[in-house]
Amino acid sequence: MNHRERVIKALNFEEPDRVPIMENGIDTPLMEKITGDSFPYAVSRQSPIITDRSHESMRVDLRLKCWRKIDFDLFPIDLSTPDGWKPQMTPEGDMVDLWGRIMKLDKMTRAWIPYSTVFTDPDDYDEFEFPDPLEGGWVYALEYAKRNLEGEMALASSLRDPFAHAWEMFTPMKFVLWMYREPSFIKRVIEDIADFNIGIIKRVAEVGVDLIISSGDYCDAKGPMVPLSFFRDTIFPNLRRQVDAAHKSGVKYIKHTDGNINSLLPDLADIVDGCHSLDPSAGVDIGSVKKTYGDRLVLMGNISVDNLALKGRADIVEEVKRCIRDASPGGGHILSSSNSWAAGARLENCLAMVEAGKTYGVYPIKM
Amino acid sequence: MPKSLRELILGLADISEIKDLIDNELRSHKNPQLIVDELSQTLREVGDKYERGELFLSELMMIGYLASEAASNLKPHLSGAGKRSRGKTVMGTVRGDIHDVGKNIVVMMLQADGWEVIDLGVDVPPEEFVEAIRKEKPVILGLSALLTSTLEEMRNVIKALEKSGLRDKVKVIVGGRPITRMIAKEMGADGYADDSVAAIRAVREMARRGGGT
Repeated sequence: MNHRERVIKALNFEEPDRVPIMENGIDTPLMEKITGDSFPYAVSRQSPIITDRSHESMRVDLRLKCWRKIDFDLFPIDLSTPDGWKPQMTPEGDMVDLWGRIMKLDKMTRAWIPYSTVFTDPDDYDEFEFPDPLEGGWVYALEYAKRNLEGEMALASSLRDPFAHAWEMFTPMKFVLWMYREPSFIKRVIEDIADFNIGIIKRVAEVGVDLIISSGDYCDAKGPMVPLSFFRDTIFPNLRRQVDAAHKSGVKYIKHTDGNINSLLPDLADIVDGCHSLDPSAGVDIGSVKKTYGDRLVLMGNISVDNLALKGRADIVEEVKRCIRDASPGGGHILSSSNSWAAGARLENCLAMVEAGKTYGVYPIKM
Repeated sequence: MPKSLRELILGLADISEIKDLIDNELRSHKNPQLIVDELSQTLREVGDKYERGELFLSELMMIGYLASEAASNLKPHLSGAGKRSRGKTVMGTVRGDIHDVGKNIVVMMLQADGWEVIDLGVDVPPEEFVEAIRKEKPVILGLSALLTSTLEEMRNVIKALEKSGLRDKVKVIVGGRPITRMIAKEMGADGYADDSVAAIRAVREMARRGGGT
């Protein structure tokens, strides 16, 4: 069974030869350590920012080499910048991205991270030139990866969730202020971003991706960041529209969110095909999720990123064994960390996660 | 019956309603210190509610904003002891980390609770913290981080304070998602908080034990 076949089986709630293993992302410094190659250009997890196509190809090459070296089963890659777009730089050296987010460069991870916004009040939004999903170039990295993979690993497209997108576009404080003071405005923005995403979903489906992983958090460690009524009125209907668009093209849709998602699980199980993160540090018990939703939700994550950074190899092996014992029987489980391999993670722990997954994840599960 | 300040804040009322209430109470010669006390009491209740999972993050942020605005409105009307802050604090997210949602909530809540807050922003290098401690002479320094990878930077700030001879001049509280009691103790902090509400509590506790006024 090759990597892709293993993932497809798991996505269809069947038992493959062993539990598939993936990571949603690995910070550049860690990928360089793994591959021995260097990549001198900064990236962003929230937004496509690399405009030079040779640099973008290098980004995919580094990632492919890293994923192959680790022997992952699933290759997720995000969108590229549309053709001809150039970022605007502020006098302070910050970058304004496609969505009006002002981003600072985090020198440690060499990633641009949103911290401010060009929007001072809701009226600015109507003047804002919204990105067009029909422009060329968005799927450059995906097409490049598809050509190079030739079906070896399953291919996933990362897509930013409209809620997370708007939360960052306006900054969290402005988003919250406008959510309470001008709820119809925030609803309109989330609908607009969902429309954009639906346009993109058609494009990524044409490339031939196997699944979409929607990035951006709904929850923090305490639970959902906004009231459940807002989820049901605004976030979930737009999530459903995106999932329907993906399903129409035969593509599975996985929702990533950090934090304590327990109270959202009944709704999510009704909308998406799977959940990624299942953060144990935030109180998510993968065994309990498996018991209740294991026939409807593909489960991905649950190896604590805090433990990958702070604990020892033996602890990680035990965590993987627990995760496999609780989530792998019957399929529908893809082993991964609860977020990504961050620059501060201990590489030996990350590699121990993969090794333990291969050792203990062989079907039928014998733990 | 008109709503109280507590009811307006917990009900996420418009800031103009809150300002109108404060103006009316001041016109009726209510002691402004009593309004400050009511605000402070409300924030304690908000903290407890958030800890019990009865408030969402967005509600906590909105309440922080409203309470901070209310406190600014009251400040010119306070006199004597009431006008003095409960103490000065310096806050910042350490170098390598630009996440500030938690820190900003802490800043708003502390301001509303009568503290003077010097907010150094995000991605703050150790030498900038040292300089701020030297210049501002705060009773409490709050270091924030979201990323596990930036825990080392918190240690660097504490080491820089030791090196500059300022460590015993200020109480250091470290806060953020990856922080545990053991990590805080190991890095030599005086207190810790794993979320914004716990940070407010830690500042108050530190002040009660002699760190502030």
